[in-house]
Amino acid sequence: MNIQTTNRLTAAETALIESYMSQVGELPGDGSVAALRDRLLDDLKKSGLPTRRVESWHYTDLKTLLRSVPTSSPAPTATQVDALIDGAHVLPVLQGQAQAAIVVEGVDVTAFSASLTDGTAAAELMALDKDDAIGKINGSFARDGYRLAIPAGISVETPIELQAVHGAGQVHARFPVSVGAGARATVIERHRSATGEAAFISSISEIVLEDRADMVWVILQEQGAEDTHLGQIRVRLGAESKLKLFVVNAGGKLVRQELRINVEGEGSELTLRGVNLLGQETHTDVTLVLGHNVPHTNSTEIIRNVVFDRAKGVFQGMIRVAPDAQKTDAKMACNTLLLTDDGEFSVKPELEIFADDVICGHGATVTDIDKNHLYYLRSRGIPENVARAMLVNAFVAEIVEELEDEKLVEALEGVISAWLEKHA
Amino acid sequence: MPAVQETIDQVRGIDIDQYKYGFETFIEVDKAPKGLSEDIIRFISAKKQEPEWMLEWRLDAYRRWLTMEEPTWARVDYPKIDFNDIYYYAAPKNLTGPTSLEEVDPELLRTYEKLGIPLREQEILAGVTSSKVAVDAVFDSVSVVTTFRKELEKAGVIFMSISEAIREHPDLIKKYLGSVVPTTDNYYATLNAAVFTDGSFVFVPKGVRCPMELSTYFRINEKNTGQFERTLIIVEEGGYVSYLEGCTAPQRDENQLHAAVVELVALDDAEIKYSTVQNWFPGDAQGKGGIYNFVTKRGDCRGARSKISWTQVETGSAITWKYPSCILRGDDSRGEFYSIAVSNGHQQIDSGTKMIHLGKNTSSRIISKGISAGKSQNTYRGQVSIHRRAENARNFTNCDSLLIGDKCGAHTVPYIEVKNASGQVEHEATTSKISDDQKFYVMQRGIPEEEAIALIVNGFVKDVIQELPMEFAVEAQKLIGISLEGSVG
Repeated sequence: MNIQTTNRLTAAETALIESYMSQVGELPGDGSVAALRDRLLDDLKKSGLPTRRVESWHYTDLKTLLRSVPTSSPAPTATQVDALIDGAHVLPVLQGQAQAAIVVEGVDVTAFSASLTDGTAAAELMALDKDDAIGKINGSFARDGYRLAIPAGISVETPIELQAVHGAGQVHARFPVSVGAGARATVIERHRSATGEAAFISSISEIVLEDRADMVWVILQEQGAEDTHLGQIRVRLGAESKLKLFVVNAGGKLVRQELRINVEGEGSELTLRGVNLLGQETHTDVTLVLGHNVPHTNSTEIIRNVVFDRAKGVFQGMIRVAPDAQKTDAKMACNTLLLTDDGEFSVKPELEIFADDVICGHGATVTDIDKNHLYYLRSRGIPENVARAMLVNAFVAEIVEELEDEKLVEALEGVISAWLEKHA
Repeated sequence: MPAVQETIDQVRGIDIDQYKYGFETFIEVDKAPKGLSEDIIRFISAKKQEPEWMLEWRLDAYRRWLTMEEPTWARVDYPKIDFNDIYYYAAPKNLTGPTSLEEVDPELLRTYEKLGIPLREQEILAGVTSSKVAVDAVFDSVSVVTTFRKELEKAGVIFMSISEAIREHPDLIKKYLGSVVPTTDNYYATLNAAVFTDGSFVFVPKGVRCPMELSTYFRINEKNTGQFERTLIIVEEGGYVSYLEGCTAPQRDENQLHAAVVELVALDDAEIKYSTVQNWFPGDAQGKGGIYNFVTKRGDCRGARSKISWTQVETGSAITWKYPSCILRGDDSRGEFYSIAVSNGHQQIDSGTKMIHLGKNTSSRIISKGISAGKSQNTYRGQVSIHRRAENARNFTNCDSLLIGDKCGAHTVPYIEVKNASGQVEHEATTSKISDDQKFYVMQRGIPEEEAIALIVNGFVKDVIQELPMEFAVEAQKLIGISLEGSVG
């Protein structure tokens, strides 16, 4: 049980390495980027995909769960879809390729491949730590994406939609975003499958909020039932900045959403809300690592999960309060409706606290629909299946309503209702 | 308010590095050479006059242990242990199985006195028969005195050292030893299986309510001997036992290893209440010395409607690695865990519980109170697992941490795994310091700050204290007071 074994490559690991070898000449990037890619892949080869022995992957044993990786097919089989919200600026990434120069007023938009080619991306491709498998994979393979820079003081009123659509194959995208001092913007990061054929997707968004920046970031993941989605968002919050981060998972076969957030400025505020709609055979993991590194910062996190069929869900939420981060106020809740005996949900809310003058708390519940609630509705003549649907809907809709933008709320509620109708 | 006043007085009277129980008893000791090998295990087994199968069991564990690696997942940090630099066997010499106290070395009796063994136990040791607590005192690995055995025998309860039990009740040992904590459960449990030297054995037969509370004093005395205790408690259908374990250890410079295994088995309708007060030497003000406490404690609610309740007050040891757990196998069984973990100075505690729900309608309750002060690190690590067929399982978990001072850390790592929809699992955790409002409220009534804090801390842990048997509750409050000395104000 505690015996050390050398890494024997699995089929998926071999496929990843072979895929890299076959593309190595054509992956965009200058010498420094290429060297970094080699190193990241070499790291991955040595460590292998993480197993449950790696604490941060305890409930998502990627080595076992990732059975195969499709070969990379750069031929675009995907086309752009309508924006989630009418009138949003759509920045499409089709089969991992950013589209020709798109102008968004007030925002500096460039294709990420340009940063790879000129080598400026080399500093960004790093993995965060030795267990950062997503960082290693994405760093090795990333081809494109968008770089957004919102200058100081600019308010971007219309939401920006980063629309990643793919068919079969592999997609590795990257979205570095900087929001200048006092700037404001809403970004929707949307991932969806066009064909439903098996694909392997990795995506990293790296967001830097300067002082007093104010941002709403929505991740809407609607991958196909055969897809593997490895997403990561890296965030740095400056002083008095505000971030509302909404994560909606409504698809995919094997999904990991890593939220790596560092609160680095005093007076800043993070609001994280998550809705995980889990059905069929999906394995969906949301992992939060939140560092409160300076005094006087607030955060609240609420994650709501609904589990149908044979789905498996995971939420790991680690809040780390640094030694000098006094007056931190962090609250986290994870509520799960487990609607089936074939499904399962695992929660690991973690507190790591090195400062004394803090208020930190977390709560976690896992249960079925409350019988009293059901009875209340049924006694008013509502059939059981309708009553159940109403209660499930209310359970997650409550979270979405916290987004103040009406159009956004409406759109997300639409996605959720449609999903529930299909699965409930 | 007398208990509180007492705590405060205790706190005032003692400096942090003046460990109350820091003394050594000089009596002759019979010792195996340092180090660990098959020969040492044969030596221990021979010393214990064990049957051949027991030796084989130990050797098997030892061979497996050699292939294992020390776990590193706990949030504790300590220099690597040299397992070959430890005495695995040390026994007081004049041991011919004393049946009365007159036969006991008077030096040993004085040790008990210095230990401050609660009056009732001292009375027993002094031969006062009206008292109702039985003590199986473990003095450096060998049970020296077993009192009240006869009275217990009358009730049908077997309470003896595990080595005696191996000789006298091999059937029970064969059936139950290692059935809750398998030999290869973890690194330290495997080590324990190979080299355990003594511990307690309790057997409560069908329908018997143990007529008294059973208590054991562990005492690590000889320099550099690891204490490898093995405790096995079996309660048959409808039985009940309350077992108390309390520990002190003398002051010394080198770290000491303690790797005990406790196994509890509760059959249908049986109930086991296991209470621990642990105040081993935590190291001095510089964090030097102190006990390493790597313990595996597990209870198996094997029968329907059985109940196992763990209550622990952890104030001592330099490093604590301890997760008293319940396997809720029987339908309608119940597991409880109440814990107070106080860390000060350079102590590191990584403790918690596991509640494994396997049977139908099982329920569990976890109340954990962590208090960290000084430069200590205090971690709650717990697991609640509802298995696929565990219909209507219910769990409630509450773990609160209190921070005193800005150099310490408090961590909470709960694992919740639910595979059955009919289950209901609730978990809540908070971490904060004593709020200024609370302190102000108490202080404006004329109570000085230090006393105010002691008062609030006592209130914070009250939920757990009230689960302890009376004599332990008083001792526990004193201990918490002593442990927090120097951290308040």
